Amino acid sequence: MPRAAIVGGGLCGFAAYLTLRRAGVEDVTVFSPESDPAAAFRRRASAIRQTHMRSESDGHCLPTSFPGLAVREALGRRTPAPLVASVCDRYHPTVETFLVHVDELRASSGWAPVATRIERIAAANGGFELDGHGVFEHVLVATGHPGLSVPDELRDDPRAVHAYEPHDYAETVCVVGAGLAAATEWRNALAAGARVTSVRRREPTHRPLNVPRPYLSKRGLARFHRLDADVRAATLHDLLGPSYPREAHVEVPVERRVNRADQVICATGFLQGFRHDRLLARLVDEHRPATVNGWIELGPDATVPTLTDATRTLALGGVAAQWAYPAADTLMGARYVAHSFARRCRTR
Amino acid sequence: MSYTLRGRLESRLAALVLPVLVAAAIHEWWTIELAGLMAAVGLALDLTYHRPLAYQPGWAAVPIGLLELGIVTALMYALDIRAPLTWAIVFYTGAWLWTQLLAHALLPLWRMSWAEDGGELGVRATSVAAALLTLPFAGAGGVYWHSLPPLVRLGAGVHQGPIYIDRRERLVGQAGAVVRGGIVVRHRDVTISNVRVIGGEYGISVLGVRNVTLDHVTVERARLDGIHTRHSSVAIHHCKVDMRGIALGQGIDISYGLIQGTSVVDHCTVVGGRDGIVMHGSMGMLMHNDVSGTAMTGISMVEMSMGEVSHNTVTSALGIGILCGDHSMCELEHNTVTETRRDDMTGNKMRAGIALEVEFESEATVAHNRLFANPRALALFLGGFVDWH
Repeated sequence: MPRAAIVGGGLCGFAAYLTLRRAGVEDVTVFSPESDPAAAFRRRASAIRQTHMRSESDGHCLPTSFPGLAVREALGRRTPAPLVASVCDRYHPTVETFLVHVDELRASSGWAPVATRIERIAAANGGFELDGHGVFEHVLVATGHPGLSVPDELRDDPRAVHAYEPHDYAETVCVVGAGLAAATEWRNALAAGARVTSVRRREPTHRPLNVPRPYLSKRGLARFHRLDADVRAATLHDLLGPSYPREAHVEVPVERRVNRADQVICATGFLQGFRHDRLLARLVDEHRPATVNGWIELGPDATVPTLTDATRTLALGGVAAQWAYPAADTLMGARYVAHSFARRCRTR
Repeated sequence: MSYTLRGRLESRLAALVLPVLVAAAIHEWWTIELAGLMAAVGLALDLTYHRPLAYQPGWAAVPIGLLELGIVTALMYALDIRAPLTWAIVFYTGAWLWTQLLAHALLPLWRMSWAEDGGELGVRATSVAAALLTLPFAGAGGVYWHSLPPLVRLGAGVHQGPIYIDRRERLVGQAGAVVRGGIVVRHRDVTISNVRVIGGEYGISVLGVRNVTLDHVTVERARLDGIHTRHSSVAIHHCKVDMRGIALGQGIDISYGLIQGTSVVDHCTVVGGRDGIVMHGSMGMLMHNDVSGTAMTGISMVEMSMGEVSHNTVTSALGIGILCGDHSMCELEHNTVTETRRDDMTGNKMRAGIALEVEFESEATVAHNRLFANPRALALFLGGFVDWH
C-alpha cells in the first residue's frame, strides 16, 4: 500500500484527505500546524462579514459533487426550494451552513493532522522526504495562499487595513480592489453609514463563479491545457482578474487614486507566485521544475512533471494549482486536484 | 454542467440502458421501437446541442426534454410506430426522470470525477453501456429478421403461371417481371410487389387468408376479376388494373372478408370492367383511387360492408359512380365523380347516371364530394339514409 502525504491542512488538504479515504487509500498522513481545516476561511469570511458562499451547491468538501449542500439543506428544512434554486444556479449556501458541514465532516472523518509545518520537500528514491517524517510515494502540497497582498504604497500607511483582517468602518472609507471582497466591503461599509469610494486598477467582470463555467470541466480545460506557457500565463492573468456576481454589485464612486479617506481597506487579495511560499520556493530552488511568471508549470492533473513518474507523485493543490485548473483555489478546484491525486495513489 | 461531446454521448448511452432494458422486458414491439427512436433522437440532438450549449444549467433539462419529446412523438407518427400515446409519454417521462436522477446524483456518486470530466464515463463503462444497449436491440432485430417471410425474387422476363403461394413469402419482381396466367395466394403473411400479371381467370386471387399485401402490382386481361379476394384481408397499394374489354369481371373484388379484418385499397388505377372496386360483406378503406369507364358501378360498398370511400376519382361510370348498398355503412367523403352515364338500356331508375347512390337500408355519411357533369348527383332508394356533414 503506497504512503500518501498531504502537506497543508486547509480546505484543499481536507478535501483531498476525504477523497483519498473514499478512494480506498488508507495510509494518508496530513501535515498541518492548524487542526481546523476551515480556520483560515473562517477568519477571512468573518473579517469581510461574508454571509453567503460564492460557490453553489457543490462548493463543499465531500469527494463527490452529490449530495451537495442544496440536498443537505433541502433535507434539513424539508423543502425542495434549495434544490430548485440549485438547478437554476441560484443556490448559494450560507457561510454558517458551510462551516457546520466542515465541522461535521471533520468530526466524522478521523481527521487528525500531524501538527507541524513542513519546511522542505526533498526528492528521494521512490518518493519524497518530508523533513524528518520519512519518505512518501505520493505527496500533495496544498499550503494555501502565501499571504495577504497589500500595495507597496499603502504598506506603511496607518489608515490601511487588509479586508481579510478584522476591522470596523470609519466615516470615510476608500476600498482598493474590485473583486468580490471589495464588493462585499462596499456594501458593508455603506450599511455601516460610511462614505465609500472605490480605487481599482482593473474593472471588475460580472460572473457568477470565479471563472467561466466551461473552465470547471474538461470541456474548457482541454483547450486551456493546450495553450503555450506564455499564452496560458496571460490567460490566467485575465481569468484571475477581479470579478463578482452581478447581484453583489453596489454603485460607489470610483477614484483614480487613494484619497484622504479615514480608512483604506485593501481588498487586494493574496500574494501571487510560488516565491511567496517558503516551501514551494525552496522546492523550486532545489529541484528546478519549470516555472513561468511565478507559476510552477504543472501537468493537467496538477502534478509537477519533472518530479512525477511511475513510482511517485508530487502534486500541488489550491492556489498553486491554478496552472492546471484556473479555479483551483475554490472547493471545486480542491476536488479536481484531489481526484487526480487519488487516481495516481490508487493506480501507482 | 459543461459536457464534452464525448461526455454527452457517453452519459446519454448510460441513461438509455435502463429504459431499453425495461422496453425489452415489456415484450411489446412499440416499446423497443420507441426506445430505439429515443436513443436515435437523443444521440443525434446531442451532436446538435454540443456547440451552442457550452454550459447546460440544470433547469435546461426541462425545455430540452420537452423538445425531444415533441420530436420523438412526431417521428413516432411519421414512422408509424404503433405506440399508445399515453403510455408512450409515460415511458418517455419515466426515462427522462431516470436520466435526471442519473445525472444529478448517481453518476457523480459512482464516478467521482464525472462532473469535471464533462460527463465522460471512461472506455470500460461506456463499452458496458453500449453492450447492454446493443443486446436488446440486436435481439429484437434478430426476432424481427427471423419473423420476416422468405424473399423470392422474380427475375425479369415472362413466368408461366399460375403461381401458387402456400407459405409466408415476399415475392418481389425485378424490373420486367411478368407472370402469365395469374397468382393464387393461399397463405397468410404474403407480400407481392412489383409484379405484372397478364391473363388468368383471376389476375391475383387471395383466398381465406389475412395479412396479404399487394404493392405496385399491375394486372391486365384477366378473364374474370383483376384482383379477387375471398374471406381475406388485404392491403393493396399503388396497383393498376386494366379490365377493358372484360364485360363481367371486377377490377378489384373484396368479398366476405369481415371476419379477417380490415382491407385497404389505395392509390390504385382501375380502367373498365363491370365494377371498378367492389366490396361485399367486408370492412375497409378505399382511398385515393382512380376508377374510370366501368359498366356497372365505379366503386361499390355493398352487402353489409362497412368502411370509408374517400379521395377517389370516378369518371365515366355507366349507371352509378359510387354505390353504398344493401345494409352497408359508408363514409363517402372528398370523392370526385364526373361524367357518370345513364344506363338507359335497362330502364332501371336506380341506374340513371347517379354520382352517389345509397340504397336498401344503407347509411352513408356524405361530405365534401365534388360531383359534376352527372345526370344525377345523389339518389336514395329503398330506405337508404344519408347523414350530411
